[in-house]
Amino acid sequence: MTDILFTNVRLIDPSQNLDASGQLAITDGIISAVGAGTADSNSAKADKVIDCRGACIAPGLVDMRVQTADPGSEHLEDLATLLAAAAAGGITGLGCLPNTQPVIDNAAMVDSLGLRASRATGPRLHIYGAATKGLAGKEMAELGLMAEAGAVAFTNATTSIGDTLVMRRLLTYANMLDKPVIQHCEDSSLAANGEMNESETSTRLGLIGIPAIAEAVIVERDIQLMRLTGARYHVAHLSTRAGIDAVRRAKADGLPITADTAPPYFLLNEIAVSTYDTAFKLSPPLRSEDDRQAVIKAIADGTIDAIASDHVPVDGDAKAQPFGPAQPGASGLDTLLALTMTLVQQDQISLLRAFEALSLAPATILEVTGGTLLPGAAADIVVFRPNSGWLVHGADFKSLSRITPFEGQPVQGLVDATYVNGVCVFNRHT
Amino acid sequence: MLPTRNLLGIEGMNPLEIRSLLDRGDQFADAMQQSGDDLSPLSDVLRGKTIINLFYENSTRTRVSFELAAKRLGGAVLNIAVAGSSVKKGETLLDTATTLNAMHPHILVVRHNCSGAARLLSHQVDAAVINAGDGRHEHPTQALLDALTIRRRVGHIEGLKIAICGDVANSRVARSNIHLLGTLGAEVRLVSPATLLPTGIEQMGVSIATNLQEGICDADIVMMLRLQTERMAGTETPSQREYYNLFGLDRSKLMRAAPNALIMHPGPMNRGVEIDSAMADDAQKSLIRTQVEMGVAARMACLEAMAVNLASETEKRGNGS
Repeated sequence: MTDILFTNVRLIDPSQNLDASGQLAITDGIISAVGAGTADSNSAKADKVIDCRGACIAPGLVDMRVQTADPGSEHLEDLATLLAAAAAGGITGLGCLPNTQPVIDNAAMVDSLGLRASRATGPRLHIYGAATKGLAGKEMAELGLMAEAGAVAFTNATTSIGDTLVMRRLLTYANMLDKPVIQHCEDSSLAANGEMNESETSTRLGLIGIPAIAEAVIVERDIQLMRLTGARYHVAHLSTRAGIDAVRRAKADGLPITADTAPPYFLLNEIAVSTYDTAFKLSPPLRSEDDRQAVIKAIADGTIDAIASDHVPVDGDAKAQPFGPAQPGASGLDTLLALTMTLVQQDQISLLRAFEALSLAPATILEVTGGTLLPGAAADIVVFRPNSGWLVHGADFKSLSRITPFEGQPVQGLVDATYVNGVCVFNRHT
Repeated sequence: MLPTRNLLGIEGMNPLEIRSLLDRGDQFADAMQQSGDDLSPLSDVLRGKTIINLFYENSTRTRVSFELAAKRLGGAVLNIAVAGSSVKKGETLLDTATTLNAMHPHILVVRHNCSGAARLLSHQVDAAVINAGDGRHEHPTQALLDALTIRRRVGHIEGLKIAICGDVANSRVARSNIHLLGTLGAEVRLVSPATLLPTGIEQMGVSIATNLQEGICDADIVMMLRLQTERMAGTETPSQREYYNLFGLDRSKLMRAAPNALIMHPGPMNRGVEIDSAMADDAQKSLIRTQVEMGVAARMACLEAMAVNLASETEKRGNGS
């Protein structure tokens, strides 16, 4: 007996290279049937038939870069608002960084957050363990115990591991555990006190620049360490042409390197900072137009595997400051799908490629549920209308964190409903 | 006189606007020279108006200069040195702005160590805001007083070769002067150690030299910038000794400039570090004291322009438009 049958659907599944109209059935939380066909034959057997009237169904988004402020700063974002915002954004799985308070650098922390998330009805929370104790970049955290507790990857969150020997040992050890290491690539001394991308614009504005090569310096170093250790390695929010070129060359050499980026890096450039609007203060900083073009090309050709929200809970007070002291980061869960759809509307990538980057690739990199509509897979899906327009207003976000660099911008791509394990976790119309 | 209600920077101002401020500054300078020791107001354009000097960084000359300028236009001046008060209690810039705004000042003169701070403040208050220096960004009244000083001594700015020398990377004075002098048709060169030249500065319409003798060759004006001593301790440059040898201005290096070249410095000076002490005091060559004097006149012109705009705003409101 089918629980839910979606009819009149445009099916988007990058895992089968499928973009066709048809229907999709869910039974016991599992996708039981998918494909062409009319409603008549199956609808009698379904508990519930939903006529999607041409809306798309795709694998739910797997957002592989999310910061949660819970535990520690729940006034900025707690687990409930985080999961609600993700669900509203069509996200069925999210990878959360360990830079909470206390830091997720031991198995008990992984357990605790994982347990709380599993009790909530909502998207799946995938936890990244801190690569080093207290995220200090010096001593290795208990990676093995955290892996046993369910950590899917290791990272130093918002800073690079600067010490090359520590990084070498991390890669070696994580490789033994068969988990990827995720790196925010930014040489800390080159980026010291940095406020924006280094360029004519930073000079004009009198803001301290972070040179674009601060990213490539770390990417290139880590690629050499990959050759030494054979470990899996993932570059988070890749944003520069030099960094992309390094990743592209490493991929050509057959190294197990992957990368993601986030919407600001393919939709905005450093010129946005010209009014000192702190909503545009991000880490890494918004880059040059040439870098932005390189990011788009890298998404299209697969050098950048995944697109993540890079969601950072920041409240108004931390942004209501001069540009220098303002906290970097912005809310991203609510807008990830619509902003990525911009690339589809501009014919930069296909809808299938968009969902490969939003869903299949991150699920594959993290080895977690999602990314496919194949029968037998968990019913983690998003129902959305790719051409429905809306205006981005932070105030409307489900996230408690409402600062977005896309405030007031018209976008297309509206999520109607999100299902995790066949359970509806978001429905726009109820 | 000015199309904007605030004076946040020179960038974006056109030559007419700049000249109108300089012309007024010229008249105020004449008037002050005539009145000598008599410090009574020269105009009542600021009568009944409150001007708040809000300084987040220590400053003597700029603050005093604004205070004198406001008083000579009949304004009431309040000095707030935030560096020592609320900021230590954790009050944010915008909270301070809101507090001050409730006191209804007419003009807020702001200095802050963050680039863009004056602009941020201007969005938050009803007063007109004058930027008295924001981080590394701009110091528009300094550029205006520099231009006024040059104009009164040389007679014009267009066509002059002007070398700006020193710590360009960290200087808001350099940026405002690049915009202003370039807009008025001077040929601007920057002379700086390569480590203190910010990325892409050449795209601001200047030429660049990393050798002082070459950079000031045939220059009509040599404008020295202050170099903070901590930047000469092996970070940006190796040592104070090396800096003075390579980039300090002394008589022998000045020989390369035009025969009647004039020296300027926004102050405060590091004597014997970026500039030879005796030369800085040489009234024949040095305009440094005149700069201080012109500071008051230039700031009177700016304050007056703000006041005129405020008056026309009030008038419009009165007409119900």
